[in-house]
Amino acid sequence: MQTRQAATGTVSIRDLRKSFSVGRKSIEAVSGLNLEVGRGEIFGLLGPNGAGKTTTLRMLATLVPIDSGEAMVAGIDVRRKPKEVRRRIGYVGQLGGADLPATGRENLLLQGRLYGASGSDASRRASELIDLLALGEFADRPARTYSGGQRRRLEVALGIMHKPEILFLDEPSTGLDPQNRANLWDQLRGLNEAGTTIFLTTHYLEEADALANRVAIMDHGKVVAEDTLLELKRRVGGGTFVVRTALPASELEDLRAALANLAPISGAWLDGEALRLRTSDGRAAVAAVAAVAQLLETRDVPLAALSLSEASLDDVFLQETGRSLRDAGQNNAETVR
Amino acid sequence: MSFAVETQLLFRRKMLELMRQPVWIIAGLSSPLLYLALFAPLLQALAGGPGFAGKSVLDVFVPGIIVLMAFGSGMGAGWVTIIEVDTGVLERLTVSPASRFALLLGTVLRDVVWLIIPALLVIFVAIPLGFHPNPAGTVVLLAIASLITAMVSAISGALGIKLRQIGSLAAVVTGLQLPLMLLSGILLPLSLAPSWMVVLAHIDPMYYAVEASRVLANGSIVNGTVVTAFGALGVLTALSLWWATGVYRKALA
Repeated sequence: MQTRQAATGTVSIRDLRKSFSVGRKSIEAVSGLNLEVGRGEIFGLLGPNGAGKTTTLRMLATLVPIDSGEAMVAGIDVRRKPKEVRRRIGYVGQLGGADLPATGRENLLLQGRLYGASGSDASRRASELIDLLALGEFADRPARTYSGGQRRRLEVALGIMHKPEILFLDEPSTGLDPQNRANLWDQLRGLNEAGTTIFLTTHYLEEADALANRVAIMDHGKVVAEDTLLELKRRVGGGTFVVRTALPASELEDLRAALANLAPISGAWLDGEALRLRTSDGRAAVAAVAAVAQLLETRDVPLAALSLSEASLDDVFLQETGRSLRDAGQNNAETVR
Repeated sequence: MSFAVETQLLFRRKMLELMRQPVWIIAGLSSPLLYLALFAPLLQALAGGPGFAGKSVLDVFVPGIIVLMAFGSGMGAGWVTIIEVDTGVLERLTVSPASRFALLLGTVLRDVVWLIIPALLVIFVAIPLGFHPNPAGTVVLLAIASLITAMVSAISGALGIKLRQIGSLAAVVTGLQLPLMLLSGILLPLSLAPSWMVVLAHIDPMYYAVEASRVLANGSIVNGTVVTAFGALGVLTALSLWWATGVYRKALA
């Protein structure tokens, strides 16, 4: 993926905070966030469920009031001029927002008119987007008859109907099958190449990897790492490898603890039915492989596979938080969004 | 984009939504006609008795039915609002520059139109059966009924946003509807009621609407009862629209 440096901020956030009351408790969903997103970027806010990504996005989209801090979108203060911000942004929420009894074309026309386009301009733009996002076959059918992928494409079209300076996408590919997800990613890359800045949240590592130029990883309301994908992965350092054994999942924790105590290993985590091991120094990888093989032999554990792996965003998350991104969401309360 | 254009666009959207639901149309038209067909004949035995002196039974009953329809036409707004919250439609519209009041008015105006069409149908069907409407009085009657629909629609829509559960909304709205309707004297004149009920009726805004509707159907337009009803319902409708707009403004925070 091509790397672009952040220019002067299309989105600029300083010490952004938001708390919610849950019963008598106040829970801070976003805790002093600082971010800068440049024009033309695809910026990914990655984190487990409950990390505060959606709350951040909803504050930027003027849906949720900001408790404190500063947020500028397209050069406009979100707290002071929310209506001005709304004119300049597109927003596609997790729920989508397509009006299901109406046809795709009717949805687009109304959206265009609400943003001030004349009837003929809205009609022209709707046809343009129907072509661009391959909605032609079903544009005049009620949206309730669309498949998940078709509906998501319509929702993206709604988000860019008025040619916003920046498009906010909240978990854009949730619920889509792999084919529709790949298709949507292609469409989003196309939009970005045509000049739309994209700010998306996701809890899918693959989505951030596939789409984003830069990523901020969020956990418990804070950014724990932020950089280009390449730099984030480089930052992990050392060597990463994956061990698969024939042991049942219930016995893996014991093995993980034993592997973590081996001298060349700097960290060991369960990753589904596999174990991810890391050495702090790339040169220690060979020694680590030998030590792992010896330990497995001593314990009479059959080795199914052992492979060297490129550092992933999950490794970055592991390094920063001590938890796997794949597991973290289950432990975070999604009640705070 | 002007407020008027936004409102017109959102009203049109709501009308299209209604037109695509033939079940709603059939139910909306058939319920008042069923009252006429199956309830009005029961009142024939009361003709000439207290509350009906010198009048046709339908002259008392039809205005009440129109007020009942006015309440019912606005009740459903909250159901649809909950669906729009759940599907993200309201969120999308809230992120647009459209005025929150226009978002609310689109639904309110649709409900008012969907009161007036069946109400006119009921009036025309009731005329050959013995209803004697005054044309000018009927226009004012429909205006009062429209205020009720607007008030109920705004409150129902706002409650939909606040409660977000159809079961809870149904419990609140129908729980309010029953006492308000019974105390208003819609189905039978309150002159038949015990005195404590008459006293209690005076805190029910629907009571003033029903009283005024019967006066208006008889052709008396400039009348203290009508002015009281307009005043009370005008203020309550304005307050409801103001409150509901505030709820829309904070809708999804």
